Amino acid sequence: MSEEPKSAFTGRGRNMNTKWTVRFGDVASRVIITVGGIGTIAAVSLVGLFLVYETLPLFMPGEVAKTAAADNPWEGDRPIRVGVDEYNLLGYVVQQDGDISVFELVTGAAVQNIQMFPEGHPRVTSYSFLNNKDEVAFGFEDGTVRLGEIGFKTTFPPPETLPDDVRALTEDQTLIYGNGIVQVTPEGQFRKTGLTHQLQDPIQVGAAAGPGKAAEPIVRIDLKERTTGPIFVAMTESGRTTINAVRSRRNMLTGKTTLTKTDGVVPFEAPAGQDGLPDYLMLSGLGDKVYAIWNDGTLLRYDARNINDIQLAESINLLEGVDDAKLTTVAFMLGNVSLLVADDRGDLIAWSPNKPEGATTPDGIVLHKLHTIKTEAPVTAIGVSPITRTIITGQSNGGVSIYFVTSEKEIAYVQTGDGTQDGGGSAAIEKVTIAPKEDGFLAVNNQRYFAYTLDPGHPETNLKSLFGQVWYEGYAEPKFVWQSTGGTDEFEPKLSLIPLIFGTLKATIYSMLFGTPIALLAAIYTSEFLHPRVKAKLKPTIELMASLPSVVLGFLAGLVIAPFVEDIVPAMISLGFTVPVAVLVGAYVWQMLPGPFTLRFHHYRLIGILIALVVGIGAALLVGPILETLVFAGNIKRWLDGQIGSGLGGWFMLFLPLSAVAVAVVFSRVVNPAMRSMSMEQGWSRQRFAITDIVKFGIGVAATLALALGIGGLLTVAGFDPRGTNFGDFVGTYVQRNALIVGFAMGFAIIPIIYTIAEDALSTVPEHLRSASLGSGATPWQTAVRIIIPTAMSGLFSACMIGLGRAVGETMIVLMAAGNTPIMQLNIFNGFRTLSANLATEMPEAVKGSTHYRTLILAALVLFIMTFILNTAAEAVRQRFRKRSSQL
Amino acid sequence: MSAITNPPPIAATGGPPEDPNKRVPRRVFQSSLAARGEPMVWLTGGALVLALLMIAGLLLLIAWNGFATFWPGSLVRVALDDGAVYMGEITRVEHYTADDGQKVTRELLRTGNFDLTGTHFQWVDSSDVAEQADPEWATLVERLEWGRFYGFPTQFILDGEVVATSDAEVWAMYEQYHGEARGLVAKRKRIEKHEVGDINYRQESARLKLRGVELSSGKDSRAYREQEAAYRAVIADSQSEFAEARARIAKLNEESERYKIVLESAQGQPVTLELGEIVRAFQPNRLGFADTIGIYLARWVEFLWQDPRAANSEGGVYPAIIGTVMMTLIMTIAVVPFGVLAALYLREYAKAGLAISIVRISINNLAGVPSIVYGVFGLGFFCYVVGSYIDGGPEGAGVTPWSGWSWGILLAVWIGAFVVGGFVVGLLFRLIDNESAPFLRFFKFGFSALWVISLVICGFIVLATTPFFTGFFEANLPNPTFGKGALVWASLTLALLTAPVVIVATEEALAAVPNSMREGSYACGASKWQTIRRIVLPRALPGVMTGAILAISRGAGEVAPLMLVGAVALAPELPISWHYDEQFGLNRSFMHLGYHIYSLGFQSPNSEAAKPMVFTTTLLLILIVAGLNITAIKLRTQLRKKFASSAF
Repeated sequence: MSEEPKSAFTGRGRNMNTKWTVRFGDVASRVIITVGGIGTIAAVSLVGLFLVYETLPLFMPGEVAKTAAADNPWEGDRPIRVGVDEYNLLGYVVQQDGDISVFELVTGAAVQNIQMFPEGHPRVTSYSFLNNKDEVAFGFEDGTVRLGEIGFKTTFPPPETLPDDVRALTEDQTLIYGNGIVQVTPEGQFRKTGLTHQLQDPIQVGAAAGPGKAAEPIVRIDLKERTTGPIFVAMTESGRTTINAVRSRRNMLTGKTTLTKTDGVVPFEAPAGQDGLPDYLMLSGLGDKVYAIWNDGTLLRYDARNINDIQLAESINLLEGVDDAKLTTVAFMLGNVSLLVADDRGDLIAWSPNKPEGATTPDGIVLHKLHTIKTEAPVTAIGVSPITRTIITGQSNGGVSIYFVTSEKEIAYVQTGDGTQDGGGSAAIEKVTIAPKEDGFLAVNNQRYFAYTLDPGHPETNLKSLFGQVWYEGYAEPKFVWQSTGGTDEFEPKLSLIPLIFGTLKATIYSMLFGTPIALLAAIYTSEFLHPRVKAKLKPTIELMASLPSVVLGFLAGLVIAPFVEDIVPAMISLGFTVPVAVLVGAYVWQMLPGPFTLRFHHYRLIGILIALVVGIGAALLVGPILETLVFAGNIKRWLDGQIGSGLGGWFMLFLPLSAVAVAVVFSRVVNPAMRSMSMEQGWSRQRFAITDIVKFGIGVAATLALALGIGGLLTVAGFDPRGTNFGDFVGTYVQRNALIVGFAMGFAIIPIIYTIAEDALSTVPEHLRSASLGSGATPWQTAVRIIIPTAMSGLFSACMIGLGRAVGETMIVLMAAGNTPIMQLNIFNGFRTLSANLATEMPEAVKGSTHYRTLILAALVLFIMTFILNTAAEAVRQRFRKRSSQL
Repeated sequence: MSAITNPPPIAATGGPPEDPNKRVPRRVFQSSLAARGEPMVWLTGGALVLALLMIAGLLLLIAWNGFATFWPGSLVRVALDDGAVYMGEITRVEHYTADDGQKVTRELLRTGNFDLTGTHFQWVDSSDVAEQADPEWATLVERLEWGRFYGFPTQFILDGEVVATSDAEVWAMYEQYHGEARGLVAKRKRIEKHEVGDINYRQESARLKLRGVELSSGKDSRAYREQEAAYRAVIADSQSEFAEARARIAKLNEESERYKIVLESAQGQPVTLELGEIVRAFQPNRLGFADTIGIYLARWVEFLWQDPRAANSEGGVYPAIIGTVMMTLIMTIAVVPFGVLAALYLREYAKAGLAISIVRISINNLAGVPSIVYGVFGLGFFCYVVGSYIDGGPEGAGVTPWSGWSWGILLAVWIGAFVVGGFVVGLLFRLIDNESAPFLRFFKFGFSALWVISLVICGFIVLATTPFFTGFFEANLPNPTFGKGALVWASLTLALLTAPVVIVATEEALAAVPNSMREGSYACGASKWQTIRRIVLPRALPGVMTGAILAISRGAGEVAPLMLVGAVALAPELPISWHYDEQFGLNRSFMHLGYHIYSLGFQSPNSEAAKPMVFTTTLLLILIVAGLNITAIKLRTQLRKKFASSAF
């Protein structure tokens, strides 16, 4: 070895240095595997992160940015109306004398000035503007009312009609041209926005001036637009109040429009303590309610559903009698149903009419406080969004807040001024309006105006509206509601996740109730009593079922099992006890067979069980109709509806399993030990013991029935009915696709999983424990119950948790077999909607980035978290179990 | 605990001597009956048998209905007491109790002839039946449109002339010409599909090219004018080809219109059908056994190889099979390599510790996350973020790009962080090894993890805010190219979904390779990679394959996420294309067997008629999934055997 160290015995030279390719390959593979491995794991974990990231905006406030603040470009006293066009370019202000000023928002440059009423026209004594719509009504001193429209209109003039300086515009420029402002659209068109107004002929509402008497001025007016035409309520100086429905007819020949009106008189009478006319007179959107409101909070509501017979319906105090408080402003919310009432304490309250049970008002409708919002300073002006329940409030300290009423969420707050009182800095906001697309707003005080852009974000959602009870307009009480889309524009999405979570839990509970016992018991039999050869064949078969596509189970459940079960509901209920009873009877009969025989054939016990099971199923078909006649008054579906029969049968069926458990406990604690010691003392033969046993079983069954009947009878006598909503709501109207079907079908999905894991846990209990127990003389059953199951307990628990996780997330089965109605009833015969099924149905239609979309992603996140917690718990328990069993 | 803690008296033989005359009580055997807990054992056994019964019942139900779908049943003609006549196949028999308490049997007849009657089915109360017969010449016609027709052949029209009027003659003529007429129709279809499709494709590519030039250099540029000229040339060119193809189609139509058959419905209404529109027609009541088998098999072949027709309720599921196969294939290609990489990293490279066991628990957890959550992620991330980004750059994905110079600074910062951080990490790995203090090792781990994570996040930001990328398919906007449900997104979503399965299975397989083999390999001088590649991976291969197959079977059977990311009830095209311009079909929506079951069963306008097809599709899906699973189980047992025999 000393002379030629590099020469091996083969005679060839050996290179002991590692080749560079090997080194390179090693480094490269290390880098690739590390990066790829971490990357893959990161990508998979990205799921959770992404869901969180996408849902965060739901809880964010909106964003505002100031675009202009300038001195008011108009002259005159207080504005009665301000407005913004839908592109946030122009604003307009209407003065009480009928003058309109249109100005460019950013610069304040005047675009157009209009004088609606020429000199000599009767003076305006009252006015009403529709929330964010063009319609308007003026009441005059001569007792007339004129309806009209003031609003922005967009036209697309052909380029060739425009002058050069307009045609030279680029996409981000605007130019005042004629009576409007011109902008270039992304499609290259010229879009001109300008104000239009028109007034219809006067309608005489109050008494006209006649010989010897003066005209009655209209001092209060409120206009609403119905599908059939405009309707308004008007009050004259003397307090005479009428509702006027106006119909316009166009003469085909002359082209002249004539207005006809039908009216009804509101029997207005100032209540005691009120001298003078109400400060606000308001008409609901359908024209069926008239509100007269005084600044001290007194409200009179008139029922005007029948225009010829209007009656006082309700009289309340909106301020609940707080003496020194005063209302500052009142407005209708979108839909013209709920009243927004602001007072000088800084409260903003939404009052909504609804029909609670037991209302004392003549029409059964009561005004309710729907939402209360505390503002920074008293609200002096309210603007209402035309598309959502968003409102904007101007406050006495110059602040502007935007709220979403239903969720009571403050979307944004800005202080228009600089805090100083001079120069209009922090003067009270007089008028405020939100842009038609909710992308900006305009606030006006007595000297300056302020324009802002707005991104409301997701105002509908906060933790309360997503997970709490919300009192929606038109509901009798706060509720958990999921209703994401509706038919009308005024529909309000209701996005409480609770009904979906409830549905998920309902599906889970019922399927676990069905699946867990079967899976665990089957696992115990497989690991403890089954012949290993049979087990080797059976186990993979059941495992194979775990991979059965759930769409198959869903299809069978929804289209085959559901219609089938619907016809044999009583038999299905009977199955719940005929099968166990049949199997138990089988066991007692088996006991009565001679000992050597059972010992010899105990491997064929399974066949006996099969026979017993089939007998049990057959018995259910026989017992079903009898059960229906005896317990459910002959027709189970009508019974479930609550149409016929008493609650006794329902209680009986509900308490049957509980009674069975109770009786079993009593028997195993008291009767069995007594019997055992008696048999020992008296030296009973096997035969005698078996006979006594079966008699005991018969007595047990009878006792169970009697107990259930007794409890049911007591409850029925006490006046409880399981079908009522007052007591748990466990049973009720039968729906074809229901929790029973889902529980059964989902059983197919979770039984194999729970079974496999549980059986693994039981099989991994060390063999020496089993041998020791059997060797000490314990029977296999004693070994199973006292040694194996306690040892494997954590494994069994973890199996249940994993089954639970699967049930929580299962989509296709519930989608097809649960009916998908998001209601919250425990009723096993009713449907529900789970988080997962909701995702499957609504996600494809949700608009990307919308509140609905993000709420659905939140639903996915909730599902993710639920299963993650379940699986982590299962995994932790399983690891502990592994550690413990390896130490045994 | 009495049986264990209180030994029965017979065991007390070592006690004081007893009176030999006193019989030893045989209590032990008697009490053993109670100790055996026979009733409880029977209950557990009952649960097992019940589970097995449920499974067997389910499979039998599917198999029975699935296999029976295509079996041609006999046709019955039913005359009712009120004079109404119906003819069709009996699909279901029901017994119910009428309001007057009488037991009534009723049959659901599939009467077809939707174009005449507006219904596919008719309930017939057996008590109302005056006469029931199986007429010999009752004919079942499967048509391309309108579903099935049931009637009697009365005339055969050739070139507008009635050439046959008796049953047998008409039928002879039908059999003579049917093949020819079908051939003509098939030829027409081929022209429509391939030639006209090619022309449309050329036009569309030319239009997109033109729009691309317009976007890049504007409408007034020279390049645009040149491209426009080229576009016009293509349009003109294809117009003439199109006209020529149309002429050929018209000629084929004319030819196939020569062959017509007149059938009379059970109610006596004559209907004229073109032979080319008839897929298959036969007299079920005249069929011999061999013919029945022939039709049964022919229907299976059609089911497997043809497109669906009549709102998916007839015809085949070929597109769904192709969709399922393509999706699974791409998913497998995506998931297996990465899953194996992750498993290799976890098992061979990563140092065991708290961090790794947390990662492992998380992966196990992710396997249990509901599939619909992955679907939501797929839609939100792949379709709406990645897809829109590919389509239209940052703006397409809803991000406002930064200005050029600020983005440049961002990029510079990112590169700087990459270089400097990389240097620091390299240094840390040099300086701190496994013998260092634990907090140093923790620092090394923490720092490098932080570096990687921040690089990734910043990298995303860099990509998301670039003003220099406006998307690959800007020309096609606002029509999304990738920013929608697509085959590739569905595959990737399922790849994510199945990644934990592959990782766990592969890890188990790697763990099962005895360490002694690795040590032996090192002792022979092999490097780590050489050891993995030559020793570990080959041994673990069956396990890896098991994981892959399990992933495939899960992917093939999963439906919920697909509903969100691209599965449709009826796809106009197969998700395969050889054209680069069509993205090889990767961005198409596709049909899927599982989704087919859902849409057919729950969204079909004619779900009763679709039900047999649902069963058959279900059967097919189960066979595929079960086949894959059985392969996996077989592989696993083989693997176990191999280890049992070759453990060192």
